[in-house]
Amino acid sequence: MFEEASEVFDNMFKSSFPLTFIVFIPAVLILVSPLPAEAAHEFTVYRMQQYDLQGQPYGTRNSILNTEARTMEADVLSRRCVLMRLADFSFDKYQKALRQSAGAVVIMLPKNMSAMPQDVLQQFMELEPDMLTTETIVPVYFAIEDDELLSIYTQTLTSSSSQGSLSAAEVLLHTATANGFQMVTSGAQSKAMGDWAITSLEGRLTGVGGEDLPTIVLVAHYDSFGVAPWLSYGADSNASGVSMLLELARLFSKLYTYKRTHAAYNLLFFVSGGGKFNYQGTKRWLEDNLDHTDASLLQDNVAFVMCLDTVGNGDSLHLHVSKPPKEGTPQSSLLKELEMVISSQYPEVKFSMVHKKINLADDMLAWEHERFGIRRLPAFTLSHLPSHRSVQRSSIMDVRSVSFSRHGAGEPPSGPHVDVKRLGRNTKVVAEALARVIYNLTEKGAPGDLQIFTEQMQVQEEQLSAVVEWLTAQPRAAQLVDKDSSVVSTLEYHLGRHLKDVKRHYVKADKRDPEFVFYDQLKQTMNAYRVKPAIFDLLLAVCIATYLGLMYLAIQVSGCESGLWLRYQRRSPGGRFDLNVFNLINWLLHEVSKGFKLPFPGLPAELRGPVWDRPQTHPAQSKGPLRNHQEKLRLDRAAGSTAARVDFMNQNHPLSLPVFLLMQQQVGGVIFYRSFSNTNQRLQKVTCRGSCEDGRILPHAGGKSLVFFWGIIVCCLSFLLLHWSDPLIQASEDPLSYPSVQVGVQSLLFCLS
Amino acid sequence: MTLFHFGNCFALAYFPYFITYKCSGLSEYNAFWRCVQAGATYLFVQLCKMLFLATFFPTWEGGAGVYDFVGEFMKATVDLADLLGLHLVMSRNAGKGEYKIMVAAMGWATAELVMSRCLPLWVGARGIEFDWKYIQMSFDSNISLAHYITMAAAVWMFTRYDLPKSFRLPVTVLVALCVYKAFLMELFVHVFLLGSWTVLLVKAVLTGAISLASLFLFVNLVHSS
Repeated sequence: MFEEASEVFDNMFKSSFPLTFIVFIPAVLILVSPLPAEAAHEFTVYRMQQYDLQGQPYGTRNSILNTEARTMEADVLSRRCVLMRLADFSFDKYQKALRQSAGAVVIMLPKNMSAMPQDVLQQFMELEPDMLTTETIVPVYFAIEDDELLSIYTQTLTSSSSQGSLSAAEVLLHTATANGFQMVTSGAQSKAMGDWAITSLEGRLTGVGGEDLPTIVLVAHYDSFGVAPWLSYGADSNASGVSMLLELARLFSKLYTYKRTHAAYNLLFFVSGGGKFNYQGTKRWLEDNLDHTDASLLQDNVAFVMCLDTVGNGDSLHLHVSKPPKEGTPQSSLLKELEMVISSQYPEVKFSMVHKKINLADDMLAWEHERFGIRRLPAFTLSHLPSHRSVQRSSIMDVRSVSFSRHGAGEPPSGPHVDVKRLGRNTKVVAEALARVIYNLTEKGAPGDLQIFTEQMQVQEEQLSAVVEWLTAQPRAAQLVDKDSSVVSTLEYHLGRHLKDVKRHYVKADKRDPEFVFYDQLKQTMNAYRVKPAIFDLLLAVCIATYLGLMYLAIQVSGCESGLWLRYQRRSPGGRFDLNVFNLINWLLHEVSKGFKLPFPGLPAELRGPVWDRPQTHPAQSKGPLRNHQEKLRLDRAAGSTAARVDFMNQNHPLSLPVFLLMQQQVGGVIFYRSFSNTNQRLQKVTCRGSCEDGRILPHAGGKSLVFFWGIIVCCLSFLLLHWSDPLIQASEDPLSYPSVQVGVQSLLFCLS
Repeated sequence: MTLFHFGNCFALAYFPYFITYKCSGLSEYNAFWRCVQAGATYLFVQLCKMLFLATFFPTWEGGAGVYDFVGEFMKATVDLADLLGLHLVMSRNAGKGEYKIMVAAMGWATAELVMSRCLPLWVGARGIEFDWKYIQMSFDSNISLAHYITMAAAVWMFTRYDLPKSFRLPVTVLVALCVYKAFLMELFVHVFLLGSWTVLLVKAVLTGAISLASLFLFVNLVHSS
């Protein structure tokens, strides 16, 4: 059956060239079909921000990744995925990686960020805005460290740092034992999210008596910001502001339920979205209320607008204004009340007013009150931060710590966080000041240390803590909170418990000239595959070929006649013994038993010694020179082997010449001799006549060697095809610089030569 | 390079079979179809064994770390069906002893190679991920070849009526060792907690020892007859 199959192959080669391709190319295509594989390690990675604000792009532009991992210590970083740990992170290294055209950067963050030293966190927080403004075409990912990722990192580190300093032998050994890692992301390329709607919520408490009551607006934005959207939990900025707002809503709604304490002020509460992206929610809300509606609370008498931004910590409070309040206005009375409350009830708090003019030439507005200031509404922002440029307003390090017990009692976590006691104190300050303004207490003669919010009206720290915990349990980046999000609906519910007329407000970017564009693919699953370098496969192939060759030689000793061991019992007419495995081992055991004087069945005399030393007991040769080709063949067949001289240059085969040339390059024709047999075209041993009586074997062409030759060609083609299908090679302009491609091309040229 | 790696593993697994087939001269005897029939018998025997194991042996509900010695021993006993299958193949083939042994062993081992190793190699060795287990699997197939040749020879010797009395005990021991070799290997792994390459080495040594012993007995038997 084998023989028939091989005949088919022969006909295929002889007859038509395209037929071979019809058979081989589908086989090759099937072989190079893509394949899902199990990874050494699969982990979630979070991409850096990608957004356009007012036409200006920020963050990374790319999301797909399929490259080998290296660390910063390696020499060659181009087209590789650079792994960096947070502890070793510096902007210089980051820029160096980008300059060397790295394929991607993965920054590994420790699981317990609070355990990192303060200066590392501070340095990273300061680098976040720089990283976002740097133009990055390659994807930058953040991953949370776990044990496996750490082990991948240490293995990559050892292999990267030892690259340049080894000798050739060590490099070879290194390739056999080292593990490379290929990092592959599973998602697609990032696209702009077209119809993204930013949601804001408003609610009100209507004052008593009359139509034209003054309105006080309290605003806080609920979204968070950081260098990676999925990692931005925004505890202090601005979960603290939202929780303070909700607590104030609860307290004042309680006051407004009783007729005696129902004041003559309208209170409007606004929880805005898109705050970190230049206060988009507030901007559109103002436009809608002031430009597109006839009657709105904002159009009539607005006493002042108070924005709450980052009020959860610190021992100071700053009131940021864009123009100092004039005497006699409600703003100035609030300012005075705040000063009075703080000085008499909380002397440890340092209070100041910070005046900063609105600068419309800046890319981003400083505080939320500036949006209102642009529309000529009196507004200010309360914050414990003295400057809007403080990096902790937009950092991923701003997380609520998981459990205080980990740090010991009284030891605060490093990095920005919310201190519930201070948040409670700040809430009380604001509530007292507001109450004094609303009820006009100072004019009525109330002393400075009169506390309204005590006992049943107390500021509840558990409430504040619960809201902060809930808000910081999920990332609230503006790209992640859509109108169906649970954050929005829960906020709506909470506002609805205390306020009336709770409404949603949506902002969508303009189609033609969008103020903001968000991109998706922000969270991916990255697979790390253990790979070996290309040299390793070649090395392995060489080892396997050696092993197979040794095995072949062991089974059939070189340079012999037909190794049909089945004819061990059936003696050939010439009285010759064919060599086979059993006889060889017999001989071996015989020698051993001779040495140890053990009884063992003896070996025939003809078998003692290696085959090639034995005299050729070929009966046909003793009869004198052969007459013709046919008789020689007949005699040889009778003797059990053929020794027809073949003039293969006359062979009727189109490929005999290149094959002959190929054979000439082979060292020793042993591989091709006697490998295959064929009933029609018996394998022909070329023996020399005349000067070479010793039966030296010349290389020759056999039918099956062509299969071997074509097999090599197909292997090289498939190898090249495999690498051409690699998207990174396709994408790069210089595919020949890849060592694997070079190896494939060189071997193909070698075969064809 | 993963296709190349697949090619490496495939060559390592398959070429010794090919070399053995060609050099043992089975091709001269047109034994190809007989080997295929032996392979079909292998499939049938494996199917029967699987059905038997699934029907009569309950699943092991012990812990994860405890090794059920008795259960695994009973399961290994079912491998006696392999011996029956080999005997069946050999009895259907007329010819010299060596011819029968080689045909049965080659067919059996090739069927095992195709059924149990080709698919994992195809699916696993072609992936991006590199794992040494594919090379180990290919080496294991080489060892299996030697093992099946030994097993066939032992079965043949066991069923000879002219077996000398002194040979009966060693041949029986050999047959038992062949059947329970897998069980012994599992035992070693669990007791000594060997690494994967060590397991391969131990397997190779064990199979080598068994095959040399059976070769010795076979040659003695054939020479003395």
